[in-house]
Amino acid sequence: MINELMIIIFAPLVAGVIAWALDIKILREILGLCGSAVPLALLLRLYNESINYSFTIGGFTLQFQLSTLTWYFAVIASLVGLAMAFGMTSTSKSSYDWLFALMSYTGVLGVFLSADFVGFFLFWELMTFASFMMVLKRNKHESLKYFVLSVIGAYAMLIAIGMLYAKTGALDFATIRQILYIDASMGTITKGETVMIFALFLTAFGVKAGSVPLHVWAPGAYSENDQSYTAFFSGALSKAGAYGFFLIYLLMAYKLYAELGTFHGHLTFAYIIAWIGAITVVVAGFLAVLQEDIRKLFAYSSVSQVGYILLALGLGTALGFSGALFHVLSHAVFKGLFWLVTAAIILQTGKTQFKDMGGLAEKMPFTFAMGLIAVLSLAGIPPMAGFASKWLIYEAAISAHMPLVAGSIFLGSGIAFAYVVRFLYAVWFGQRPSDLEDVREAPLPLLVGMTLLAIPNLVFGIAPGLVTGYINKILGGEVVGGDYYKLVTPTGTYNALLVTIALTIGLAIAGLIYLYGARARKIPVTNTYQSGNPVTEEFNLSIRKNFYKPLAEALDFWLKYSWDRFYERLAGIIEDLADSLRQSFYNGNVQSYSWYLAIVLLILALWGVL
Amino acid sequence: MSERKNEDFISYELQEFKLFEPLFRWARKKSLWIVAFCTGCGGIEMPPLATARYDFERFGIMPNPAPRMADLFLITGYVTPKTLKRIIITYEMMQDPKYVLAHGSCPINGGVYWDSYNVVKQLDKYIPIDVAIAGCMPRPEAVMDGIMEIMRKIENGEADGWKRYRENYEYYRKNQDELFGEGWREKDARRWLAWI
Amino acid sequence: MFDWKLILEVIGMLIYATFVGFIFMGIERKAMARIQRRVGPPIYQPIIDTLKLLGKKESVSHGFIYDFGPIFALGASIAALLFIPIANFQLFSANADLIVVAYLLEVPMLGIMLGAMSSGNPYSAVGVQRGLLTMVAMQLPYGLALIAIIQHWGTFKLNELVSLQQAHGWSILVPALFVAMIVFDIVFQAMLGLEPFDIVSAPAEISMGPMVEYGGKHAALLFTQHAVQLFAETAFFAVIFLGGASNLLELLIKQIAVLFIAIFVASIYPRFTIDQAAKFFWKWPTILGIIAVLLTV
Repeated sequence: MINELMIIIFAPLVAGVIAWALDIKILREILGLCGSAVPLALLLRLYNESINYSFTIGGFTLQFQLSTLTWYFAVIASLVGLAMAFGMTSTSKSSYDWLFALMSYTGVLGVFLSADFVGFFLFWELMTFASFMMVLKRNKHESLKYFVLSVIGAYAMLIAIGMLYAKTGALDFATIRQILYIDASMGTITKGETVMIFALFLTAFGVKAGSVPLHVWAPGAYSENDQSYTAFFSGALSKAGAYGFFLIYLLMAYKLYAELGTFHGHLTFAYIIAWIGAITVVVAGFLAVLQEDIRKLFAYSSVSQVGYILLALGLGTALGFSGALFHVLSHAVFKGLFWLVTAAIILQTGKTQFKDMGGLAEKMPFTFAMGLIAVLSLAGIPPMAGFASKWLIYEAAISAHMPLVAGSIFLGSGIAFAYVVRFLYAVWFGQRPSDLEDVREAPLPLLVGMTLLAIPNLVFGIAPGLVTGYINKILGGEVVGGDYYKLVTPTGTYNALLVTIALTIGLAIAGLIYLYGARARKIPVTNTYQSGNPVTEEFNLSIRKNFYKPLAEALDFWLKYSWDRFYERLAGIIEDLADSLRQSFYNGNVQSYSWYLAIVLLILALWGVL
Repeated sequence: MSERKNEDFISYELQEFKLFEPLFRWARKKSLWIVAFCTGCGGIEMPPLATARYDFERFGIMPNPAPRMADLFLITGYVTPKTLKRIIITYEMMQDPKYVLAHGSCPINGGVYWDSYNVVKQLDKYIPIDVAIAGCMPRPEAVMDGIMEIMRKIENGEADGWKRYRENYEYYRKNQDELFGEGWREKDARRWLAWI
Repeated sequence: MFDWKLILEVIGMLIYATFVGFIFMGIERKAMARIQRRVGPPIYQPIIDTLKLLGKKESVSHGFIYDFGPIFALGASIAALLFIPIANFQLFSANADLIVVAYLLEVPMLGIMLGAMSSGNPYSAVGVQRGLLTMVAMQLPYGLALIAIIQHWGTFKLNELVSLQQAHGWSILVPALFVAMIVFDIVFQAMLGLEPFDIVSAPAEISMGPMVEYGGKHAALLFTQHAVQLFAETAFFAVIFLGGASNLLELLIKQIAVLFIAIFVASIYPRFTIDQAAKFFWKWPTILGIIAVLLTV
């Protein structure tokens, strides 16, 4: 009898391979959908159970575990995966996409459900490889960037795992945790080694999560991809990076505290993680505001929001953990929804730059409604899930006495407002360009996928207690109190249901005043005040290019420096160095080749071999 | 728009507030908002009215740049066809009830420019005027008197330029089209397109 | 079943807040006029303006979101008002804390921006751009001032803030929180839309900015929203920094004091352009905010 964990992890891969091998149009979509739905169904059935499973292969023991924490992450990943499958039913054109998308789905589930480092690393690499192949099909340069950075992260992780194995002699999480906990008081692993392991792990997980010095692959890789797959890519794969940061806490918290101590009352290692998160939020947010391409805007926005998760993790308090975990859920759900909406727009109109779009709200009303729900959630408007998680992060940050970090959350929220309104204005409102006149609503599978992700937004926004109840179970205590609708922390309360009711009362009162007045008649968009000048449809009545030019002017000092250009220049220097070495050695000159031969023979003769 | 399309503009139903009509009439009288549109040479007479000496804000009058929120249109001085096109477009964007106050002799009969080829001699053929103030330019006291007259007319329910415009739309439209040519909005818009 | 006393309090408070909000708007115009040595309009002028706008006999619309925007804005302002403890009426303030109210006070801007964007006018697009950039610029000092308050008193809940201040004295008597109040006052100018930060609806430049296509009953809704927002924001300032109040008259005096500081500053200064405003907000108010926050850690 195959263990359920194996079914959960490998079902998508099996479905993907069969779909790729068969390559019949409807059959591969159905296979893909089934393969994506199986993990979600099984996980929901295994709600409160805890399962351990291990098997030995090639001298290594791979262990898998389903506990509260891993169930949480796995369910979020499989929800986004199912929505991705629905989206890909409409947008993917070949079975290549299905194979690698489902392969990365397997990788993510394996990463979350692993209980030892060998399995973790194997599935991590599987996940990275599959997403790399998805990007490779479309753009070689961006895939190369992604590949190089992921490889740097993966090798860093490998070195760190090796060091841990050398010091502790074990590879599974439970044993390592035990040994490091004991070692915190004994100190056989020196401070330098601990810092080295910590820095290596930071690099490895920071690449995947997209924290600031290592985020340069994200805009290219998220853009040059099938947008339904990007829903999974940025919704679930970046969470694998965040899960890695959790692992650092789980395994090494005591050791790092013992070695690195505290800094002004905060744990030093946690403080570093919080500042990385804060810088990511602000820098990626500002870059998102200035983008012209819809995919790049959402890519930078994803990077910025994962920065929120890192920031909340870095606070080091239980409230911070609960905020981070809740934000994992709400980010996966609203960002997945945003990418599916983008997929619908690109599928139906074929345009990706803001300057080509406009006025689509009448043509694609359902997609617009879904986009509006995602916008409200990202901007943090009260009855949505995004606000509940942001509220927890605010509470945690300010209660932990990290004021500058909390100030950067405020700034990040304001910036999020700005770029999300840019998206709304440029795509849905305003004047419609003439070549978008016959755009129709998105196909049904995409709409089903969008609804699948929109419902948790609403439900967990109005009843956030459902999520925090489970998070309390994960953290093992009553961190966030209250009932289904109310979140109560030691210093503040947030009653989501009452806020929703108050908003409804306000809307009702406003609606009454509205209904009293004269009936409004609809007028065309050219009947607009342009200082009295007559206007026709050929006039450009919307601002679609460079919408936030004054911000670019205000930030022009900082925009001169760019991590992306730095990396490109560094890669260019190494390439030039390698080129010059190659040209100096392999110069096609027979004389120098005969010199090489003579020198090698001389060395061998002196050595006594010849 | 070569044929006369009445249904997209004038033929909708207006709301009648029976219960609160006297209250609304008092409110309209006490809070006239002027479209910030100064035509001709009378535009220079607006600042003295608005500043400290002849302050009209004490009557609730306020200049407002958006025509959709405003209800008083001041035609201060002569009107050329180019300006008249913009005046008509702005006037049609204002929401009923709306009033027009004509300063000077030029809107009444052409004034100083009675024999010019480029000045509209009789403005009442194109836009309904409620109160006309004679003078070249009228002094601020005369303009205040005109404003008092409009307020009195609103109170009595006699300020019905907007009603005349709705009911006699064919007449006004015929005059406008005779002056500018049919389909003048699109032609004029396309003329300026090259500059944009 | 229903708490009748609470419902009556809510309805009474809404009517009171709308009325007093309109009076505040009238005080703004009258004070500006007096400073310019004119007789201004009567104090109840905005009520007359709103009645006139409601009495317009026709109304135009550019689509569903155009209609929905002002309704959403007014709804959010009313919701924000219900969660602030006004004088000795608690209303719903035990159920939502400072962060929720601070967010609910910014949601109306989203509603107005949504409506303005869907009207398809370039002027309103420019107004939306400027409004959002003003909001981005002012969030950092705003957040730092609020963080200073929360860190000093140690609680997020507004009714606890009021009771703590009544026990220990007003917030502005603490030096660090006095600096925070200066920062918040500068941000307050931007929140109310007064000079030097009224670039959002710069009347002579872009014809009323986002509201250029709004007339009739939509404009009446927007005016009512501005009145309720004014009341809620001045009450928020009074609750956080000036110790709340134990009856409505005391709260009114504190709100008028705050309003007058805003009016006096507004009548002196011209308008910042938007990149000047952003650079300004990220220089001195941010530095003062960081000082305030580090003093209360």
